[in-house]
Amino acid sequence: MSASEDQADVEKVLTGDIAAFEGIVRRWQGPLVNLAYRFCGDRGRSEEMAQEAFLRAYRALSQWRRDAAFSTWLFALATNLYRSELRRIPGRMTALDDIAEPKDPRAFTSELEAADRDHAVRRAVFALPAKYREALVLFYFHEMDVTAAAQSLGLPQGTVKARLSRGREILRSKLPQILGTPRLKEKEAR
Amino acid sequence: MIHDDLDRILSEEEILPSSGFAAAVMDAVRREAAAPPPIPFPWKRALPGLAIAALALLWALVSLARLVGEAATARIPVAQSPVLAPIWQASTLQTVISAKAGWVTLALVLTLASVIFSVRLASGRT
Repeated sequence: MSASEDQADVEKVLTGDIAAFEGIVRRWQGPLVNLAYRFCGDRGRSEEMAQEAFLRAYRALSQWRRDAAFSTWLFALATNLYRSELRRIPGRMTALDDIAEPKDPRAFTSELEAADRDHAVRRAVFALPAKYREALVLFYFHEMDVTAAAQSLGLPQGTVKARLSRGREILRSKLPQILGTPRLKEKEAR
Repeated sequence: MIHDDLDRILSEEEILPSSGFAAAVMDAVRREAAAPPPIPFPWKRALPGLAIAALALLWALVSLARLVGEAATARIPVAQSPVLAPIWQASTLQTVISAKAGWVTLALVLTLASVIFSVRLASGRT
């Protein structure tokens, strides 16, 4: 994704060429919808949230200061919106204690069972308290870049690291068989 | 904890926007651009009212301060007042004044807060 393309499109939109905004939408629709999906876990709602984020970005385009990358500004704006949307109407939440862990982690042999395990982990992430969930979501969305996650959340890096650590700790305590101990295959491999 | 597992599971989650998503966003953007701009707060019309309210507030504060000051320092004039004398004679004037002063102050503070909140709300800064 080209920063210069973003800048050129922003300049055009600010001079009244609304159609230029489509370039921004096409470049960033994937990341913004995905980020929303990671926040709410609902495909339909994630598109609604992403659309609202683009609308807000359009309205606030003149407030983007060129000292930060357009993507940084856009993700921070979208993150703020998604967080407040989920505070207003929470997603489908499951209590952390209600997430059942498969009895025998050694049973994760087939792809289907592995998919079940992945699903259990994702549900556990959704059930985390908001501040830990948000840190984890942003961290993995930004391909494990703490700096980018901290910028999107508008928090110091140290706070994000602490929340990541605590979030992982909670996940480990809730899903000890999946995340707490190495699987047999891994043990054997070592 | 096996970070690799968690990293892999949470990094893999990807969805693609539906085919009409960009078009839907652009429709919404065009509607937004075509919509008339928001009505600005009518400062010119509101200014006389706000000025009167500010003056009334100032006058009330000055009167209150004067009343409290008089009650505290000049007991005789207050006691001679035809309205306040009976209360003063009942030796409860200071209690009454301080109690009322509290309520009046609270009312003034609430009024001020509501004015500030209204202005912020109208200017869209909340």
